[in-house]
Amino acid sequence: MSKSQIEDINRNIYDIKNEDNYDFKMKKGLTREIIEELSKQKNEPEWMKEFRLKALDVYESLELPTWGPDISELDMNDIATYVRPKSKLNSSWDDVPEDIKKTFDQLGIPDAEKESLAGVGAQYDSEVVYHSMKEELIQQGVIYTDMETAVREYPDVVKEHFMKCVPVYDHKFVALHGAVWSGGSFVYVPKGVKVDIPLQSYFRLNSPESGQFEHTLIIVDEGASLHFIEGCSAPKYNKVNLHAGCVELYVKDNAYLRYSTIENWSKNMFNLNTKKAIVGKNAKMEWVTGSFGSKISMLYPMSILNGENAKTEFTGISFAGKGQNLDNGFKVVHNAKNTSSLVNAKSISKDGGKCTYRSLVRITPNAGGSKSSVSCESLMLDDISISDTIPVNDIETDDVIFSHEAKIGKISDKTIFYLMSRGLSEEDAKAMIVRGFAYPISKELPVEYAVEMNNLINLELEGAIG
Amino acid sequence: MILNNTPVRTSKNFNINNIKIDEIALPTLVPFSNVKISGETDTMTVEKTKKFELHFTYGVGNVIEDCNQCLRVQVSGKESSPIKIEFDFDQENAALAENIEVIANENAEATVMILYRSDKEKTYFHQGALHVIAKKNAKIHVIVVNLLNVSSQHLMSMENEIDENASVDYTIVDFGAKTCISNWYSNILGEKAASSVNTIYLGSDEQFFDINYIAHLRGEKTNVNMEVQGALADKAKKHFKGTIDFKKGSKKAVGNENESCLLLSDEARSIALPMLLCSEEDVEGNHASSSGKIDTKSLFYIMSRGFSEKDAIKLVVKARFECVLQTIEDWQLREEILSRIDEELL
Repeated sequence: MSKSQIEDINRNIYDIKNEDNYDFKMKKGLTREIIEELSKQKNEPEWMKEFRLKALDVYESLELPTWGPDISELDMNDIATYVRPKSKLNSSWDDVPEDIKKTFDQLGIPDAEKESLAGVGAQYDSEVVYHSMKEELIQQGVIYTDMETAVREYPDVVKEHFMKCVPVYDHKFVALHGAVWSGGSFVYVPKGVKVDIPLQSYFRLNSPESGQFEHTLIIVDEGASLHFIEGCSAPKYNKVNLHAGCVELYVKDNAYLRYSTIENWSKNMFNLNTKKAIVGKNAKMEWVTGSFGSKISMLYPMSILNGENAKTEFTGISFAGKGQNLDNGFKVVHNAKNTSSLVNAKSISKDGGKCTYRSLVRITPNAGGSKSSVSCESLMLDDISISDTIPVNDIETDDVIFSHEAKIGKISDKTIFYLMSRGLSEEDAKAMIVRGFAYPISKELPVEYAVEMNNLINLELEGAIG
Repeated sequence: MILNNTPVRTSKNFNINNIKIDEIALPTLVPFSNVKISGETDTMTVEKTKKFELHFTYGVGNVIEDCNQCLRVQVSGKESSPIKIEFDFDQENAALAENIEVIANENAEATVMILYRSDKEKTYFHQGALHVIAKKNAKIHVIVVNLLNVSSQHLMSMENEIDENASVDYTIVDFGAKTCISNWYSNILGEKAASSVNTIYLGSDEQFFDINYIAHLRGEKTNVNMEVQGALADKAKKHFKGTIDFKKGSKKAVGNENESCLLLSDEARSIALPMLLCSEEDVEGNHASSSGKIDTKSLFYIMSRGFSEKDAIKLVVKARFECVLQTIEDWQLREEILSRIDEELL
């Protein structure tokens, strides 16, 4: 069989750069003065400024991770932590400045909003430039707004939940986030309200040598349900960009939340993001993740199953190409009786890319009657790539059913032969196998996003293998 | 003291990259005389030598620099009966640090059994270092049985270099010691070289096991198989770290790892880190890990046949261990191991 040669993903839509045309750009670096200036620029309440300064102290006291990808290239002295675009927050796309609107048009956001979303938020660099939600949801009491507005208008709710699920001392880049966060979304779904159509926030980083630190806080109250979609991209620059966002999810008793992400950052991006959910009694949290972009990614969404019968599922795929080191995975803590978790993780490595699946399953002594099943599969498309699986399974009680399995392999020659015997060319056979490998993840996404994901995987596959 | 590092680190918060031991009281080494060697032949010899050093790629880590037993086993023919090295700990022989080198020359075949036993009277200290070299076409089966008492310390480093078409297969029984730290590394170099490790461990009381197995597959069509079965009662705790690393050049290599832990108490704790690392395309790697208590239906079925609950549990544990015990041909040793299960799970 001839070698597989799969080209890089066609990124032409995502790589379109706008001029670095900002209203305010913070000087590079990370100091107390910069944090104070950031807080002043954002016209924040005093408690938030104090919070930021404390987070900075924590950041300075914590060491860099001693494991995972090498992130020594990242120098905070080369990163501008706050870039305010030349746009205020708008609720109509017509009011968004033309160059920014054009970017989101090309990414298909306004079209998606019309066709399949109940609400959209769009962040450009450090600030949200557009936010809108269907009237019927507003009438049902659903709140979907940018975080800055939430800090001003719902201070008690924000104070109660902000960085309580993900405390600043979790790790160094969470502390960094606490110090410099800007933008992001706040969602509150009242008790019993079912939001049938997804909400989506899209994060676009245009400015070079800068960071994006958006904060997403979602509270799905008792018996409510929501599907939230997060998309992100950036054009590629020669120097490092940083994304250190934070997602805090509260899924109250009997509630349901699905959080879907298509991550397609440019390949100069360090994606050091943190996502965590606290899941209540009889509630369910589902994560669906496609990770394609970034130079380095360290991302391990986490579910803490605190209520009896709480459930979580993680379905994720990573696709690492040339120059990429995607260290992704999932963490779950079973902390109540009869909780369950189901993990299905896949990765594809090609052209010298490295994929690592890193995970934790912890079943505490409180979690009798719990079940956990983990499956991860890795596909190697050539002999210059790397694929690692590093799972930790920590079981602290006997009354559990726990299983973990992992596989690493290449595309089976027998399968290719079988498909070719049915009339497919070798290229088509290989492309079909890769699509089939990713299918369990793509089928979990809404159709438009599954198409986007399949495009990301397949656009250049067809005709490029051989 | 930080020991038994994994080849690749993961998050410090997971507490599994290595272990910190503060409690081990290091003994002063005096000559250890309770060593019994049997089964030597013309083509399989054991030489008590002057001190020699063994340099390990991994290993538990040097707790004691010195050693009080140095043995070199040479195998040059095909032997059907095993060579047996038995270390018995007692009041006069309370601390052992031994270096053992096994050299299997081309086409040699043999079984080497190494046994550690003790009375229950005292706390004993053992640090073992075992280095096995299997030259072209050699086939070596190594059986390491730790039946020390549950208040002792057992630190065991094992490293293997395996040439073309050769194999080194281990059977490890880790039942003894309050702190049992074990490190096994196979460097599978030659084409079609193979290695396996079949382990059973049994923990009761407050025993702690830190087991760290690493295999580097380097040659084409190499193979490794790790099968680890354990049972933990009372407040026993175990770390299992298993790494299969497909290095560049290991085309058509196969690596399988299966770790299963039976939890016999709600205070027992099992942590596992089964790693697959892969830098080669045309390989097949699989790992599986599972934990849980004995299925109540099975237990009920056995008890309905007249067994007490304790006896039913013992029966299930013995059945779990059977696949590994089968690799030990010496029936007396098998019986000794089985009777230890009865003692531990009283």
